[in-house]
Amino acid sequence: MSITDYQIPASKLYQAMRSEGINAVTTVPDLIQFALHDQFQQAEDIEYIECSAENQALTTAMGLYIGGMTPLVMMQNQGLFNCLNTLRSVGIDANIPLVLSVGAFGREIANLGKSPNDSSRVCLNKVEPVMAAMGIPYFHLETEEDLPQIAKAFATARAKKCAVVISIGYFPSWT
Amino acid sequence: MSLSTIEACFVIGKARGEAIIVSTMSAMFSISAVSPSPLNISSVPLMGGASGLGLGLAIAQPNKRVLVLDGDASLLMELGTMAQIADQAPTNLIHFVFNNNAQFAGLANLKRPGGASFDFCAVALGAGYSTAKTLYSVEDMVAYAPVIMGSPGPHFVELCIDQQPRFLKEMPQPEIPDLQFMRMGAEAQSMMEALGVTHE
Repeated sequence: MSITDYQIPASKLYQAMRSEGINAVTTVPDLIQFALHDQFQQAEDIEYIECSAENQALTTAMGLYIGGMTPLVMMQNQGLFNCLNTLRSVGIDANIPLVLSVGAFGREIANLGKSPNDSSRVCLNKVEPVMAAMGIPYFHLETEEDLPQIAKAFATARAKKCAVVISIGYFPSWT
Repeated sequence: MSLSTIEACFVIGKARGEAIIVSTMSAMFSISAVSPSPLNISSVPLMGGASGLGLGLAIAQPNKRVLVLDGDASLLMELGTMAQIADQAPTNLIHFVFNNNAQFAGLANLKRPGGASFDFCAVALGAGYSTAKTLYSVEDMVAYAPVIMGSPGPHFVELCIDQQPRFLKEMPQPEIPDLQFMRMGAEAQSMMEALGVTHE
C-alpha cells in the first residue's frame, strides 16, 4: 500500500462525525488532525472552542453536553495521557458519553498497516492498553475502510454512557 | 472584614434566581445546603473542573446565567480556562473564586501556590474578562450582586474567605463516600432533566 492509503480524507471523517450530530468541538489542536481541524473550523454552524489543556477540553465538552449540545473532543495521544483523571471523572464516573478524536502522533512509517500497539513508542503502543485498563472503548482508524468505526464509536458511547476514543492513525488528507 | 464560605454561598443563593451553579470544593457543600436546586452541579471528584464545565454550560445555555463557584487552588490547576472564557466571552457567566489562600481548607490548610500575593483579579482582567472585583464581606457582596447580575459578563469576583480551623488530630479521618463519585453524574442527569435537554 502507498502511504497515502493511510491518509483518510478529512472531508469523509468530518461528514461521518457530523452525521452523528456533532455541533461543537473542544480541542487542544493536534498535529495529526490539521486537515480535520480545518474542516470543523470552516463550518459556520460549529461551536469551535480552543482550549489551553486537555482537561479543559473535556470539562467544557461536558458542560456543552449537559446544556444540550453534541461536542466532539479533539486532541493528540500525548494530550490523552495528560487528561486521564478528568477522563475518568467525566467519561466514566459521571457517565458523559463524550467522543474523543485522538491523533496518533509520532507513528513510524513502518508501523502503518500494523497495530499502533506494535509501535516501539510508548505514546502509541500504550494508548489502547491504557484505555482498556480504564474501561474506555477504543476504535482505531487505519484506512478509509475503517470509517464505519466512527458510527460504532458514537453508538457505543451512547449505549454504554461513557467516553470513547477514536484513534486517527495517520494524517488525514486535505480532501 | 470577614466572610465565610457559607455566608458567601447564602448571598449567592439569594441572588441566583434561575441561574445554573457550578461549584467545587468547599463551596460545593455550602451551596447545596443553602440553595439546593436541580440546576446545581458539582465538579467532584474533579478539582479544577468547575470553570471549564461552567464555560460549556454558558455557551450551550445562553439564556441562563451561569455562576461558577471555584476554589483558589482549583482555579490555579486550570488557570488556562480563563483564556478560553475570555475568548468565548459568554455574557451570562460569572466566575467566583473562593480565595481562602489554602489547600484543603478546614482539613489541613496547606499552603497553595502564589500565596496571598497572587492577584486573581489582575489575571482575569489581563485575560479579558469584562470586570473583576475583590469582595471581603457579606455587605460587599450584597452591594455588588446587582451590578454583576444586571450587566453582561463574563465577570470575575474574588471572594476573600476566612480560613477555617484546621482539622485536629483528635478528630476521626473522613471517609470519602461512594456518593462523592456518583454525585457529578447524578447532578448532570438532574440538570438535563430540569433544562429539558435530551440526547435522543
